[in-house]
Amino acid sequence: MTATNEYAIVTSNLTKTYTSKIRRPEQRTSFFTRRNNRTVTAVNHLNLEIRRGELFGLLGRNGAGKTTLVKILCTLLPPDEGTASVNGFDVAKQQMKVKQSIGTIFSVGERGFFWRLTGYSNLEFYAAINNVPRHGRQKRIMEVLDLVGMKENAFEVFQKYSGGMKRKLALARALLPDPPILLLDEPTTGLDVVSSRNIREFIRNDLSRKAGKTVLYTTHYIEEASQICDRVAIMNKGQLIALDTPDALRSRVKKGEVVDVVVKNMTDAQINTLRGVDDVVSLAAEIQDAVSGKTRLRMRLENVDSLPRLFDFFFKEKIKIINFKQEEPTLEDAFIGLTGAGISE
Amino acid sequence: MTLLQELDKIYFFMKRDILSFSTYKTNILLSILSALFGALSYAFLGANAKMQVLETYHTDLTTYLIIGLAFNTYLSQSLTLVQRTINPWSLEEVLVSPTGLVTFIVGSSLWGFIWSTGVIAIYLAVGIFAFGVVLSVNIIGTVLVVALGIATFIGFSMIGAGILILTKQGDPVTTVITIATNLFGNVLFPPQVMPEALRVISYFVPQYYFFTTIREVLTGSSLQAILPDLLILIAMCAIILPLGYLAYSWCLRTAKKNGTLSWF
Repeated sequence: MTATNEYAIVTSNLTKTYTSKIRRPEQRTSFFTRRNNRTVTAVNHLNLEIRRGELFGLLGRNGAGKTTLVKILCTLLPPDEGTASVNGFDVAKQQMKVKQSIGTIFSVGERGFFWRLTGYSNLEFYAAINNVPRHGRQKRIMEVLDLVGMKENAFEVFQKYSGGMKRKLALARALLPDPPILLLDEPTTGLDVVSSRNIREFIRNDLSRKAGKTVLYTTHYIEEASQICDRVAIMNKGQLIALDTPDALRSRVKKGEVVDVVVKNMTDAQINTLRGVDDVVSLAAEIQDAVSGKTRLRMRLENVDSLPRLFDFFFKEKIKIINFKQEEPTLEDAFIGLTGAGISE
Repeated sequence: MTLLQELDKIYFFMKRDILSFSTYKTNILLSILSALFGALSYAFLGANAKMQVLETYHTDLTTYLIIGLAFNTYLSQSLTLVQRTINPWSLEEVLVSPTGLVTFIVGSSLWGFIWSTGVIAIYLAVGIFAFGVVLSVNIIGTVLVVALGIATFIGFSMIGAGILILTKQGDPVTTVITIATNLFGNVLFPPQVMPEALRVISYFVPQYYFFTTIREVLTGSSLQAILPDLLILIAMCAIILPLGYLAYSWCLRTAKKNGTLSWF
């Protein structure tokens, strides 16, 4: 394992396997018959090093293993194999030290809050159980509420808060003990565009840049990771399949390989045929205008030389091209290239 | 981690519960009314019925019923206490904080006991002021017996909560203990009124020793007088409480290992 003063989070060969019961409708089970079990390796021999002060994005589809990793790092799940250390403390053997080093947000925003108490009372409780000293507690609560822009709503009852406010309060709760490391599991899930952006900017500018916190930020929103993270790891089936800066990941897809085409009267069968063409690495189709029969296709091609063969396909199938442009590759294109699928698939 | 810090946490667990509880005003009123009417109805029953066998307990039926009802509140509170701390939404948040299991359990249960004490006061007040119940409280004995009863039932509660964490759908322990309390616990009728075969079961349940000794110490008996029953209660507590803690810790660890902690 690497020296821990350089790295805030280190995992070595980390593995977590779940066993889940399968209940297919066709398999009639009674109280006495055993159900079939399925073993899922949620985190698979994962090696990861996150530097101190780094804003590290962990990107992956639902079920990729992101939340399991966060739960292992915050001591909620014991690993089956391998080791993980947070702030230099082993997550299996030094749980209290780990807990004192982290602030966490889980993917459900309102989790753990008491709906009939005010935001302030909720934070007062969490400040106490997170060892925020009693004499400076009130000041600290108001500080974090101010930081997340919730000072004005401190004494309103939690159940009256909007989704964005609940998320902000969750962030304030994670900041209460002023931990050096923050584990943020999908902190903007379910938020509107403006609230999401505010929270992202706060995490990047205030927590990462100004306060120098180490942030592990999991998300399945590719652009989020691309906008704020220093480095991004792409996780698929419990393993890291890529780890680099957002720019470096984007550059894995060459300019010209991504095309955006608007076509007219293309059938579903033709779209599926196009998907099967060797030159097309990935294809996302959306109906742009049902009345006029316009469909928008976003494709990643094998290479720039594939373009003539693509045009040949449209010509032979008698598909009219309304608009065509070569796009700058995005992190999503890199993601699709690496995982072989879109993030929401 | 200092003791002061842990006491501070316990205080804030309690404050959280008081604040939440105080928002359910109708529920508070109904709880008080149900304690009041419960005490009144059983006291009427006691005042107008006879149960010869109560001579064994040196008391009349009204006093017998009032004490049984009042202190059954404590046991019911203790029995469901740990289960009530398993709020799937807050359990993970508390477990990722640097708070130990003991602080968590004690903190989460304190307000419930304070409220139960209030309810007991209502029962006793109705008995004393409306039906002339006379108590001669052996304070040390009462505190000791109540502490032993609560500790034993917290042991049961931890076993039940552990099973609940694993099964997610009710635990058989609470049901069995509640039935055992009502039937064999010496709460509303003494086991002597039951057939011999059933009466024997009473001697194997801690509730019997709790209710027998609490009645004795509340009606003036010395510790020496209740020593045999008290020793059995102490022995049962010494087995059930640590067993409960071990069972709860094991179930919690297993649920963490399986990743099913918040699956409810």
